[in-house]
This record gives sequence, C-alpha cells and structure tokens, in this order.
Amino acid sequence: MMLFLQTTINGLALGGIYALAAVGFSLVFGVLGIVNLTHGIFVIAGAYGALILFTQFGIDPLIAIVPVAAVMFVVGYLYQRTIIHWAISRASLVASLVVTFGVAMMARNALQLAFGPDIHTITPSYSFSSLTLGDLRIDVVRVVGLAASLFLLIALAVILNKTHFGRAIRATAQQPLAASLCGLNVRNLHGLTFASGAAMAAASGAIIGIVQPFAAASEVAWTLNAFIVVVLGGIGSPAGALVGGLLLGLINAYTAQFIGPALTQAAMFLVLVLMLLVRPNGLLGNAFGETR
Amino acid sequence: MPSTSGSALLQVSGLKYDYSGVSAVNDCTLELPQGGIVALIGGNGAGKSTSVKMIAGALKPRAGKVILDGRDITGLPAHEVVDLGLALVPEGRLVFQHLSVHENLILAGHVRRARAKVDENLERVFALFPRLQERQAQNAGSLSGGEQQMLAIGRGLMTMPRVLILDEPSLGLSPILVSQIFSMIGKLNEEGMSVLLVEQNVHHSLSMAGHAYVLEKGRVVQSGEGKALLHDPQVKEAYLGLV
Repeated sequence: MMLFLQTTINGLALGGIYALAAVGFSLVFGVLGIVNLTHGIFVIAGAYGALILFTQFGIDPLIAIVPVAAVMFVVGYLYQRTIIHWAISRASLVASLVVTFGVAMMARNALQLAFGPDIHTITPSYSFSSLTLGDLRIDVVRVVGLAASLFLLIALAVILNKTHFGRAIRATAQQPLAASLCGLNVRNLHGLTFASGAAMAAASGAIIGIVQPFAAASEVAWTLNAFIVVVLGGIGSPAGALVGGLLLGLINAYTAQFIGPALTQAAMFLVLVLMLLVRPNGLLGNAFGETR
Repeated sequence: MPSTSGSALLQVSGLKYDYSGVSAVNDCTLELPQGGIVALIGGNGAGKSTSVKMIAGALKPRAGKVILDGRDITGLPAHEVVDLGLALVPEGRLVFQHLSVHENLILAGHVRRARAKVDENLERVFALFPRLQERQAQNAGSLSGGEQQMLAIGRGLMTMPRVLILDEPSLGLSPILVSQIFSMIGKLNEEGMSVLLVEQNVHHSLSMAGHAYVLEKGRVVQSGEGKALLHDPQVKEAYLGLV
C-alpha cells in the first residue's frame, strides 16, 4: 500500500511537469493547427539555458525560468513569423510538419555540438533533500517542480480566460476571419500564441533540469510526451494539458514500478492507441470546438 | 438621390478579384452616401460576398479602389479597416461559438476607436437587442440562428462604425425574424448609420434602400433607386420570381 502511494505521488509530481511541458504544444496545435515538432527543442533549450545560468552565474533554476522563458518567447515569435509562416503560406498547413521536423533535427545537432552528447543535470542546494511523511519520502525538487508547474498552468489559464489577449487568442482559434473583422491582427496573434507556447516549454525545461537528467537527444521524447498528453487530455486548454499530463505521469510511474521500467514507452503507446480509438478528442475535448 | 460626386462616405470603383485564376469579381463599383442605405443584390455566386470582403480588407483586390471618407483604404488589412470605422458583419454570422455573448461583444469593442466607450456601447447594443443581455453569460454557440445574427450585428456595432456592411443578415431566418432584423436595420439608419446591405432577400432590401446595385457575374449591371428597381421588369423576373 505504501509503495502504491509512493508511486502515485511520484507519478503526479512527474505528471505536473509533463503538463507544463505539453501545454504550449497544445495551444499551438489548437490555435494555429500546427503540429510543432520543434517543441521538444524548446523544452531542452530551456533546460540548457537554466544550466548555463546556474553553472556560470549561480542563478537558481526556478528564477532562471523568467529569463529563459523570455528569450524563448522572442525566438518562438520570430520562428513562427518567418520560417513557419513562409512554409504554410507557400505550401500548406502540412508543410509545417516537415519544416518543424527539419528545424528540430538541425537544432538537436547544434545543441550537441555546443554542449556535447553528455547527460546533464542541474543541482541546486536542495537537490538531494527530501521530505518525509511517515514512511513516504518525497524529493524536494519534485515538490518544487510540481508547484512551479501548477503555478504556471494556472497563470496561463487565467490569461486565456480573463484577459483581452486570452479572448483574442481563443477567438482567433475559432474564427480567424471574424477575428480580423473585429479588429484583431491575426498574424501577430498567431506569432504571440506560438511565442507563449515556446516560453511555457522553456519554463518547463528549466524545471525538468532539476528533476531529471537531460541531453540534446531527449528533445524527441519531450515532443512525443507533449503529443501523448494532448491526445489524452484534449487540445488547446491548460486544463486538458493538466489532465493529460497527470495521467501520463501516473502511467509512467505505475508501469515502471509494477510492470517494469523497460515497458514505460510500450504502456504510453498502448494508452495512446486506446485513447485514439475510444475518445480521439481527448478527455476534455477540443477547447476551441470542431473548427478544424 | 445619392450624388455621384466625390462626396459619398464610401466610394468603391472597379474592384476585381479572382480565386486562383477563376474570376469572381470583375468590376464592382458603388457609392454609399453619408446616412444612406444602399443595397447590393444579386444571385448566388454573383460575387457579392467577395466584393464586401474586399471592401472590408479581408481580401486584397487585384484592381480597383476603396475610398472611405476621402481616404484611400484599398488593400489595408481588415483589422486596420475596422479601426477606421468600417465594420463588416460577415455572411454566416461567424460568431465565436465557444466565447460567451458578453466576451464576443467586448472583444470587438476593444478596437482602438471604441475602447474608451466599451460600457456605453454595450448598453446601446443591449438596448437594441434585449435578448443578448438576457443571454450574455451563455456561449454564443448555444444561441438560436436569429440570436446569433443579432450578436454578429451587435459585435459590429461595438466597433462604432461609420459604415456598417451587412452580408446576408436574413439568411436562414424565419419570416418573423427577417422582419425584425430589417426593422432594426431601419432603426439604426434613422439614428444616422450608413448601411451597405448585401441581400438575396430582394423584396425587403429594395423597399428600404435609397439606392441599389445589381451584381451579376462579378459586374454591376444595373443600378437605381431601390423602389424603382423593385418594379423593374428585369429585376422582377430575375430575383423576385415574378413576371
């Protein structure tokens, strides 16, 4: 029983981070209709950014979230307004799949060139401390990571639901033509949505850096995780990402604990396939309706 | 009625558009005087919607000019045209289904020219459409067709337009709602709004329009006083099903 509880807690802590890492992917997919295969790069770039700030300047990774997310916001905006926009306007929406895949490969190799193929971790002072609750042991980094992830997800949900910027993003996702007739600059909003997604990914990267080891090659796994989270939870909303992320975290933790660590990927894909068969829109559905 | 001098509030001349090589509009030319109602009629595929989309900046014309109050706005993007005081209520309403009625309205009311008066404008729209006030917390997707049309018009009004273009506002509505929508358009006009009305409901629109244009195969083929066109034998035959 204790083992089950311990595994559940570990799974939920991991799941919160999965959710944050996926929410940008979900938003971009929901609003722009783009399956962004560069998403994992944003996550890993965030982790490397936090690593540099920590080793060179001693900045805590949780504080590093702010500059890292800001930089990726700008990078994401420029990337969408140039490369991705060009590809879509000259070919079709599907072209974005190929282009983002290509950019991801180049970026992965560039990261490997810059940082080497080694696995890194970020180890602030609280890295090895843990809380004990009876027989339960919880790593501080996981609690901190979960708390930071939840905070950022809630912040995003509030922005989407309570501000003009958020309403504009949701309106653009549903009816781009009507949105422009209401005075919204749709191209600019697409850029800003993409930028927000990249910033959220980079923020999650900084948190991932303190919880798990990472390398340039892990970007593939993070794109894949984001994809699975969206299929499980539903497209376009922080709530959907949270549900999907927590589910994926639990599936991973239970499989690793009770079936075998080698089978986590198999379990993930099994659930993915089942979900696509039973409820292809995810548990919470598409936040923007059936407009695509 | 409307003079053909350069004094009209909206002047459109020689607009052209093609969808990947297939010509949709060849020569759309019309004028809307300050405070007037002008109708643009024509059958399916005549190019009415394409024409007004070009006027509102949602499509870039291949040729021609759009002048709003003396200012050349040809080719400006839609979101800038709205801010100059020209609002298009698009065909099919296109309300934001997953936003509440209230959110739909205040989103449009956020354009620069109207931002300071959002509350005032909201009151005005609710006075015009009390039904929208009752349902302001509901998702727009849950409204009936007539209510969605009211919302679409209300959304246009929130931007405080000088020119309001309505693309097929009566489409798919019951006869009672059609009369309601048209009497509401008349009321707006009496308050001073200049209206360009695109319609297949030729009878209603011609009886209220000061001036009207007939668009056929992307070209304005006839124009004249609304009531005169209503009795024109060609118009009768083509659009009213009467001989």
